[in-house]
Amino acid sequence: MLAASIETLATSKENNDSRILSVKNLCKNFGGVKALQGVNFDLVKGETHALVGENGAGKSTLTKILTGVYHYDDGDIILKDNIYKPNSPKSAKQSGIQVVHQEFNLLTYLSIAENICFESLPKTKLGTLDKKKMHQRARLAMDTVGLGDIEVTTKISELGIAHRQLVEIARALEFKSDILILDEPTATLTQREVEKLFTILEKIKHSGVTVVFISHHLNEVFNICDRVTIFRNGKTITTKEIKDTNPQDVVSLMVGKALEQVMAQQSNQKHFGSIALEVKNLVIPQSPNAEGINFCVRKGEIVGIAGLVGAGRTEILRTIFALQEKISGQVLIDGLPVEFKNPRDAVNARLAFVTEDRKDEGLILDMSIATNSSLASISQVSNAGLMDFEKENQLAADFAKKLGLRFGKLKDNVASLSGGNQQKVVLAKWLSTNPKLLMLDEPTRGVDVGAKAEIYSILRSLALDGMALIVVSSELPELMTLCDRILVLSNHQVTGELEQQSFSQEEILQLAYKNM
Amino acid sequence: MQSEMKIDMPAQHKKMSLKAIVRDAGIGIALLVLILIFSITTEHFLAPNNITNILTQITINLILAVGLTFVILIAGIDLSVGSVLAFACVVAGKVITIEGLDANTAIFLAVIASLLAGTLCGLLNGLISAYWGLPSFIITLGMLNIARGGALHISEAQTIYSFPEQFNDFGSASLFGIPVVFLVALLLVGIAGFVLHKTVFGRMIYGIGNNEEAVRLAGHPVFWYKVMAYTICGLMAGIAGIVYMARLNISSPIAGIGFELNAIAAVIIGGTSLMGGRGSVYGTLLGAFIIGVLANGLILLGLNDFMRQMITGVVIIVAVVLDHYREKMTTGS
Repeated sequence: MLAASIETLATSKENNDSRILSVKNLCKNFGGVKALQGVNFDLVKGETHALVGENGAGKSTLTKILTGVYHYDDGDIILKDNIYKPNSPKSAKQSGIQVVHQEFNLLTYLSIAENICFESLPKTKLGTLDKKKMHQRARLAMDTVGLGDIEVTTKISELGIAHRQLVEIARALEFKSDILILDEPTATLTQREVEKLFTILEKIKHSGVTVVFISHHLNEVFNICDRVTIFRNGKTITTKEIKDTNPQDVVSLMVGKALEQVMAQQSNQKHFGSIALEVKNLVIPQSPNAEGINFCVRKGEIVGIAGLVGAGRTEILRTIFALQEKISGQVLIDGLPVEFKNPRDAVNARLAFVTEDRKDEGLILDMSIATNSSLASISQVSNAGLMDFEKENQLAADFAKKLGLRFGKLKDNVASLSGGNQQKVVLAKWLSTNPKLLMLDEPTRGVDVGAKAEIYSILRSLALDGMALIVVSSELPELMTLCDRILVLSNHQVTGELEQQSFSQEEILQLAYKNM
Repeated sequence: MQSEMKIDMPAQHKKMSLKAIVRDAGIGIALLVLILIFSITTEHFLAPNNITNILTQITINLILAVGLTFVILIAGIDLSVGSVLAFACVVAGKVITIEGLDANTAIFLAVIASLLAGTLCGLLNGLISAYWGLPSFIITLGMLNIARGGALHISEAQTIYSFPEQFNDFGSASLFGIPVVFLVALLLVGIAGFVLHKTVFGRMIYGIGNNEEAVRLAGHPVFWYKVMAYTICGLMAGIAGIVYMARLNISSPIAGIGFELNAIAAVIIGGTSLMGGRGSVYGTLLGAFIIGVLANGLILLGLNDFMRQMITGVVIIVAVVLDHYREKMTTGS
């Protein structure tokens, strides 16, 4: 470790090889989970290099290794002819690798200058803060990102999202770096801001900085990058010159043909009833200018909603459940228009919503399995406001049995359960209300494989009993296994609707990228 | 929360683990130790009239703390209870001294007036902080001033006295040496315990304190449950106001200054978490006893006011630190 840092310190000398960084057969395990299992790629000095892949393919793990957050288990990283093994984010920075993270790391109530120079504030001879020097340095950094006209004493809180993103980049550049990693830099930007960012990136590139660009947006990748490396399941599949490939090829490489498609359902068993939910021209605050969203769900049907993060999948469910207001449009339950003012109205109309965030919204972790199971159906286990604990335990025990819950005692806190069993308690909570429509957002997140299959079969049997279900998921195999029909969203618009016989990962992904 | 669930479910009572017993009994053990120390070190601590004294002294604090338990369980705070006590007390004092009323009517109306005054203040605290989602610390700090100012204004900063005899007698009456006002407080503890542990409302209070969002998403009117908690707290301050008046036979606009802090201390020493969702009103009862016993015992030991104040402060801090470890021990983390 020490030898490695000495070596990294010795890397400041210029070298003529055009290859600035190469990663060979890099592996990283978290316990039994193989996050990276053979990552190979290299960076040529001055290029813009894209890393693409589905969520969980290993891009962020690699970023964290390169920036010294994680150590790697096996393989080699060569930075400018020396072995690179950073033991902290600080040593990564000293070696010239900077990252701009997806989420902001700015101190909101401090000025731009203070943020930019935060990691090494200039001092006067007396040891006090040298404001003049700080402002000077900050102005220089802001010039590089094209924001020279903004006063560096402005507080971050007064800046818009796009400008904050640029300040982050300015901060990264202020610290002299050879490699700049941008993790989804355009996720929060509008089209015009993205264009501005790209002009600035072009300038940065010309000053000799190598840029690593991580993005879901393939059109951006094809717009500004020189080469692209594709990740799948913790491995790099290949690196291609942008001019030698096209987005369709990249998508196929990201998905992989080998993924098995388990079609558990027998289609002859299916029987769809009348329309349980219909959404007409729904416009949500996150995308007020989008065309309205239209879809329906029949009784006995499982409809999946696919799309990239930020495409508006979760927001549609939250709008239907009155957790956020809609701008316009109509929601019809059993053919009748409804106007829910709050989740209470939705629950009373026998809607149920398994949210993405189990810990913050789904469960009361420090309360018992029984309490959580009866949370939405407390009127069934009480009389005139008095709890009937026997009934409550009975209800919890019934659902525990029905859903195959593995637990100690019903009075145990749900915090003591595994992810899969916690999710079953969330299901118990909603199923005890006997819902007509069950909406699930990422129903198997943080759930192990065994419990996943159990949850699939529970959802399938609910559909067979005539319940209408909507499933939002980032895992395409999950949607393709579970759903009768998949709706694809791209940038808050429905870009396609696929029936089961025409499910294909390529097609779904292409529809998902359509409006990006 | 575990302890409440056990009280909730008698069927599961038997299987209480040793750890849970230590946790639940922790405050009780501390109280017994205190009693033991004072019985040995002082001559009169266990004398019947001293015990009556202690019970009388903790009554007001206990009533306020019962109300605060509801608010603290939903992760709120009510700093206004001391002032609301004074406001309710003054309102009742004005009503009870209306000329031309016969004694019973006057007493009846005074009690109603006091409870209404307290309830109104609590309702306002709840509505304002829950509607705008504002920190109750600030809202109730405002109410602290409003109620105190109101009390001073209504009474023109004068103490009101000369109440009907039956009323004053009630304040000093006792049953088998136990002051009746203390029995009233005990009854309130019982009712609060029932409400918190046996009703849907109580379940919701704990649920909101633990995870408000989950309760809201399950389709419950969280807003009204929160308003109810503050209203109950105000009602308790109103009751404390009338009890104060009956016990001291005066109604003073400067009554109850700083009482909120002792009441909060009783709740916290009693094991209720300031973060909400965990604790019980029975703990609050023990917490009020610890504060009362300590104050009384230290006087008997001949310590001066300043020393007593310092020691009480130390006890509050020690109680919270111990509770932190007790919680760690039971959750096993």
